[in-house]
Order: sequence, then structure tokens, then C-alpha cells
Amino acid sequence: MIEFKAAAVTAPDSGVSILEPTTLTLTEERISIIGANGSGKSTLARLINGLVLPITGTVEVDGLDTVKQGAKVRRKVGYLFTDPTSQLIMPTAVEDVTLSLRRIIDDKSERTEAALTALEEIGLGGKGDVSVNALSGGQRQLLALAGVLAVTPEVIVADEPTTLLDLRWRAHVGALLRTLPLQVIEVTHDLDAASRAHRTIVIDSGAVAFDGDPAEAVKFYRDLMFGRPTRTADA
Amino acid sequence: MISLLGIYRPGTTPLHKASAGLKSLMLLLTVIVTMMVDDPVTSVGIMCACLLLLVSTAPPAKATLRAMGIIMVVAVLTVSFQLWRGEVERAIDVAADLTAIAALALAISCSTPMESMLDLVSRMVRPFGRILPPETIGLMFALTLRAIPEAARIFIDARTAARARGLERDPRAVLIPGATRTVGFALQLGQALHARGIAEEAKPERTEKKPRRDRRSEKAAAKEHAAAQATADAETSETPLVTYSTTKPANDVAGPTTAPEGNTSAS
Repeated sequence: MIEFKAAAVTAPDSGVSILEPTTLTLTEERISIIGANGSGKSTLARLINGLVLPITGTVEVDGLDTVKQGAKVRRKVGYLFTDPTSQLIMPTAVEDVTLSLRRIIDDKSERTEAALTALEEIGLGGKGDVSVNALSGGQRQLLALAGVLAVTPEVIVADEPTTLLDLRWRAHVGALLRTLPLQVIEVTHDLDAASRAHRTIVIDSGAVAFDGDPAEAVKFYRDLMFGRPTRTADA
Repeated sequence: MISLLGIYRPGTTPLHKASAGLKSLMLLLTVIVTMMVDDPVTSVGIMCACLLLLVSTAPPAKATLRAMGIIMVVAVLTVSFQLWRGEVERAIDVAADLTAIAALALAISCSTPMESMLDLVSRMVRPFGRILPPETIGLMFALTLRAIPEAARIFIDARTAARARGLERDPRAVLIPGATRTVGFALQLGQALHARGIAEEAKPERTEKKPRRDRRSEKAAAKEHAAAQATADAETSETPLVTYSTTKPANDVAGPTTAPEGNTSAS
């Protein structure tokens, strides 16, 4: 369970509010977060993994505070970035997954074995020794996901994971995320993907503008974007 | 040269089977020997051995030829200079040395996975573990290799963008966006490491901050406590107040255990 307790974020220098004090309890298996560019969606997502720390309030994952127990939180929460290039560190696919596994498997051969299995499971079997630079954008995103899944997180936070992908890869990665047997919180501009979640949160100007049924959330967001009169926010 | 990073190809050749430490030592010794030996015949012999080793690892042809081509250009320039000075033997020696070192370095790159190099660096710095965390140093090594091609790609993109805007003669049009985006990439890489929890194991968890000791408040509290005690005792006994007024504010007087009123920051 993920709990935001009046968690707020402000810009360190200017003090400008990025995320207003937010209180949320996230228990659903599939949650989507939508909103305009710069609205604070990514900040909200990053708070879950401890990439961004709240200035006031707290964020807890299964009772673990992201400020005080960040490393433990990150063992539970995997994070998938929009651009996989910045997430891939090692030169080849298998080495990159192995790097993630270094903290949980000591034996080198076991680690390599586990990495190859992770690649196989995600659909990159046979690509283990291929340079990450030689992989396509979709394959890189899959590799990034394999690196995250290899360490068996309980939650995955995906920040626009399909934005840079073509239609085919978008469908593939999207379908893969939907079938994962763990909690997935996806920040997205893809309203179809958002409406397939169990719960959708709309962020506007650094605050939760709507929180609830995905279909209603998408309708609310469309109205918000096109300047039509909106009904009162649920949250 | 950039394409050489990530050139590793799996295989079963003797060089693939050799440990990363042995291969690094071999490269180091080859560099020392080629620098010390001036005999062109020996240098050519070492060069042939290194080239054979390179071929044995079955490197990717395009990247290898490109890299060797760059070395060849440098070698040709150096040889031309030596020949112009009339030093034929020296010219052969220098060209052979350069080729040998480049070929061996390539052979090692082709046959050594990055993880083995990372392990090697971690092992090498282990004796200094108290000052330099081995895992972090190994990771720094890997990150440096990862960042080089990315930084080059960023600058190539910046140059293309400058050309597209007709600013190819203005170095600022390349340097400023190139540097900014390189820093941006470094930040993203840092965030990715953080998100993946890499090199985080050695770091202790943040513990809850002890409330800051406010000596002034403690003194005031002690005085207040003493005065209250004195009043209470004066009411119940004959003990003079002066006993309390000269009592040193003791440490056992509890300091503030909660944050000052109004401060609810959790960070």
C-alpha cells in the first residue's frame, strides 16, 4: 500500500510549489496518472520511489518512509523512465540486467543465469550479448523493464514508458505492463491506456484535480484541456 | 573509436577464457616492453602476435577496421615524420608499437565483458575499501565508459542542430547546448542509478534526526523546574529557596523531545 500524507514538493531554489500537499492511498493494482505537461505527474510518481522527497508530509510504501528508508523502498518499487537510454548503464543487455542483480545475487554465474532468464521472459532471448546501442527503442524499453523486474519489485512506477515508442512497440510494452502480476502505476498521455486502469488520477497545476473511475477521469481531463466547464473535482 | 565501447563478443578463445586481471596485466606489460625495446624486429614480432590475438577473438569487422584505421593514420603520420628525419628503424619501431598496443587493447575489449572489468576494478580497490567503496569505484569505471559515447552523440547532435540553424561557425552554438545536454544526461543517469538502487547497499539508512539540543531552552526549563520545585518545597518544608537557585541546571532535565510548534516538516 502506498500512502501520501499531505506530501508536498516545492522547487528548492525558488520555493515555487510543484506539488501541493497531497493525501492519497494507492491500493489498486493498476493506477494511471494523467495530466498536462508540467502539471506535476512525474513528481507525484517520483515521490513513490523516493527519487523526489517531500518537503512536507510523508510518502510511505508498506509503512516504509521514502525519506528515512529510501533504499528499502526502492527494493520494493521499481521505476521505469520515459527514455530507456538513460536507464541502461552497461554496454550489453545481459550485463545491464546483471548489474541490477548484483545486490541480490552474489554468485556471478547464478547472476548471469538469472539475467538471461529475465531477458528470455521479457522477449529478449538471444539479445543478451547485443550492445544496448544496437537495440531498437522498443527493445531498449523492454531491457529497462527486464532490469527492473529482475529484482522482483512489488510495485512498478512507469513514467510515460511508451511515449518514445512507435505504435507496435507501444502496444507491446503497454500489454506487457498490463499483464504484470504486481501493482503498476503508470504516468501516461495515452488516454486509452489510462482508461484501462482500475483507478485514474488527474493532476492539474500541481494538485489532484480528479481521482476515481478511469472513464470519468479521462472525460474530466478532456474537458479540462479543452477549456470546457468542469464539474467539481472529486478530490 | 566510440563504437568500440560495447564491442564485446562472447566466445571460447583462450583470450575469452583468460581472466580480466591477466589480460589487463598483459596489456600493461606489452605497453612497457614496447616502450623499452627499440629493436624494430622485436617490435614487429610483438605487433604480429597482438594482431593474431585480435583476429582470434573474431571482432566485429566494421568497428575494428574503423578503429584500426584511426591508429593507422596516426602511425602513418608518425612514420612519415621519422622517415623525413632519416630514422627508418625508429619509424618501423614506432609504427609497430602503436599497432601492437591498439590491436591488443581491441582484442581485450572484444573478449572481456564489462562485468568482469567491473569486478576487477572492485577487487583492485578493495584494499582501500575504507576510503574508496569498491562497488562504487567499479561502477564509476563502467559509467565513464557508458558516458563517453553518449557525450559524443550529444555533441554530434548539437553540431547537426547548429548546422541546421546556419550557425556552424559559432562554437557557442555547439558547446553550450552540448554541455547543457551532457549535464542533463549525467543527471538522468544519476536518477536511474538511484531508482535502480544501484550502489546504495553500502549507504546506511537515514535515521530519524535527534531533536536539536537547545541549551537555552534547557537552562530556562531547568530554572523553571527548579523554581517550581522550590515553590512546592517551600510550601511543604522549611528548605530554603537558595538550595535550588544555586543548583546547576542538570542534564536530567528533559529537553524538548518534539519539534518546535509550527514546524511540521518531515524532510
